[in-house]
Parts: sequence; structure tokens; C-alpha cells
Amino acid sequence: MADTGIGAVRMQIGVISCSGEEILGGTLTRMATRKVMEELRPGQAISLCLPLFIAGGEEERNFARDYPVISVDACERNCAKKSIEKYSGQVREFIILTDFLERDVIFSKTVSMKELTKEHYRMADKIAEEICKKIDAIAAGQ
Amino acid sequence: MSKEYAILPCNGLDKCAGCTARELAIKLAEETESEIICPVFYRVADARYNKLANEKPLLVIDGCASRCASRLAAEKGLKIAKKINISEEAKNAGIVLKTDSLRLGETEKLLVENLADALVTEANAAEQTQEADFFPKQLSYDVYQKDKFIFRIPKEAAFFFNENDVWVYVSGGKARIGVTDYVQQSLSDIMFFTAPNVGSELSQFDEVGSLESGKAVFEIVSPVSGTITKVNEDLLNEPERINQNPYEQGWIAEIELEDFEEDKELLYDFNGYFPIMKRKVDEFHV
Repeated sequence: MADTGIGAVRMQIGVISCSGEEILGGTLTRMATRKVMEELRPGQAISLCLPLFIAGGEEERNFARDYPVISVDACERNCAKKSIEKYSGQVREFIILTDFLERDVIFSKTVSMKELTKEHYRMADKIAEEICKKIDAIAAGQ
Repeated sequence: MSKEYAILPCNGLDKCAGCTARELAIKLAEETESEIICPVFYRVADARYNKLANEKPLLVIDGCASRCASRLAAEKGLKIAKKINISEEAKNAGIVLKTDSLRLGETEKLLVENLADALVTEANAAEQTQEADFFPKQLSYDVYQKDKFIFRIPKEAAFFFNENDVWVYVSGGKARIGVTDYVQQSLSDIMFFTAPNVGSELSQFDEVGSLESGKAVFEIVSPVSGTITKVNEDLLNEPERINQNPYEQGWIAEIELEDFEEDKELLYDFNGYFPIMKRKVDEFHV
């Protein structure tokens, strides 16, 4: 458990994003998860590395077994959610970008960081907000 | 290794090294005709990437010592053409990757730039070597002389000829074609070369461009069937290269062969073509 520095102890919550290279949606989940972990809920949100998780990373799998996890997938393939369910149990909450972002954008070609536009960052912020809502809901019910 | 890779990056979101691996993969995909294999989706759906991984040389980019991408390649039984580990590359370059953030800083971006440049240069050099290896650096000729005119025929066993005086050099599934000395001597100074279109498919004996001199227009008849992959663009500005040597700098085009075994039945080897050319030379006053 992490100390918030204001006297309360916050529950650590895992966030695992698909981060896929196949479509831009993967990049957006990656950016959003990073923002939540580094800026919006530092110390509370713990990112789990999906490639490491499915390659057999014990630390990642144990964390996902012991702590609540939110999966963030770009599309209905649900690579992140399915991987957690396969190796560590149920996810506490899940997010799929197709529920609230344009499919055309999600399924467009992935780009390097320097090619990202303001619109991409705005979408990543939107996803980060959704992740934070789930984190706060889980923490509220802890 | 050719200029096109199948790139399998670790794509990690656990360390800055993983983020750097991802960025390098995307940069390479943008600068070459490489394609990226999503390590996560590859585990879920084999079919999507198996063909790609087996068709193109595989470049594996690991982020850290966990070597997730290498492990995945091993699990799938893939043959690795080249392997890079971002953490090791950073160490070799005297760079310390961020540990407090996943965001790429200027140092990480510079590392990506340098690694990408080195890989693209290496790939281009390999492609040129491969290109040079495809066709012999030196040819040995047999010569027939009529008056002051010399008619050379390459003696290498991989050369074949059709009755229309067009040669083909075959190596694996690839071929290079051109006209023989008989054509260039008959035409005299070649002034125009009309090239075939790269990507066009042709059958044996289809027209594959033309040559024009002050004397005549010569329609180049393809000795093989297949798809045009390359044209000797130097000839567009300097068609006289064909007069200088139609077998070396004066080659016409390269072709991805369709069925050479079938085409070969209607072609001559050196021993078959040499007497035909001699007869033509003797009957034709250059």
C-alpha cells in the first residue's frame, strides 16, 4: 500500500493497457495509462506491462492476483482483459475505447510519438479520465 | 538482410527501455518498408503474423533483460535475423535511460535516431551486397569476329537466349535480361530506350520495352515470364550503355520469375545460341 503523504493509505490499483502496435488505439491506451500512473494518480495506479505479463512475468501476475486491476483495451479483441483472466483472475473494471471513441481513429495506423497530434493527446486525456473514474470508484469501495 | 524487416519489439510499458523499443520499431517501419508484429496480439492470433515473420528477416527489439520479444520469438520457433537490446545499446553508448518516467526524453530520442540510422544503413548495405551477389562481377565471353565487328556471348551456364537475341541470366527465382551483341551491333548507335513498367506481369515472348537507333526500332522480346521488379534506369539517359556492353552496364530489366523450367524449354544455352548468332552475323552485313 502506498502512503499518500496526507495521512491516508490508498489502495494500489493495477492498470494494464493493450498498448498494441496493430492500431492507433493501442498507442492511445498506452499514453493514457502512462499519464494516470505518472501524473493523475501517482503511487496509486501501478502500470502492468502486458508483454511481460503474458511472457510469464511473475511480479506482474502476482500483483494482478493480489490487487484490483483495470484493463484498458483499444478494441473488442480485449487482449489485456483476456490475458488477466487467463493468468491471474477477473479484472475489477475494464475499459474498451470503442465504447466512447470513434472507430476510425482507433483502427487507424499507429504512429511514432513525434507524429502525435493535439487531438491524439486530447483523446488520451479522455481515456485517462475514464481510468481515473474507475480507480476512484474502486478506491471508494475499498 | 533486406531493407524490409518483420519487427518484433518488446513494446513494454514497464520501463523507459520498452517505450524506447517501441519508438525504434515505429521509426524503422516509417523509414523502411518494414512491418511491426504486435507482441501482444501475436500471442492471441498466430495466423495474423506467422506469414510475415517467415517471409521477411526478423528483427527483434528487446527493451530490458527480461527479453520478452526474444522469448516470444523462441516460443514461436522464429528464425531471428538480427537482435537489439535497448538497455545494452544505451549502456554501450554511455547513455543512462530514465528510471523515473516512461516518457522519452531527448537522450532516449537521440538513441532511437542513432539506432535507426545504423540499422537503415546496415540494411541498405546488405541489400547492395545482395544485389551485387545476384549478378557476376565479371563475365567470361566467347567471341565471334566478322570484319572489324566483335560479337561476344557470355559463357556462364546461367545465361540463356531466345531466337530474338535477348539474353536472360537466372539466379534462384530472379532473372536479369538484356539484348545480345548481335542486336546492338545491328542497330548501331542506340538513341532511345523505352522501358517496361515495374510491376507489370508478362508472359514469355511478350514485349518488354524497345530500342531505337537511326537504323531501326527493336522490340525486346522477353525470354521469360514473370513480373518486372526493376528497370535499368541509367539507360533512359544513356542508352549508349547498351552499345558499350549489353551484358553488363547495358542490362534492361530484372524479373521475378514465374516458371523458368517451362520457359527454359524454348530457350538456348550458350552452345545452342552461339551457332545461331554466327549464322545471323554471316547473313547480315552490319
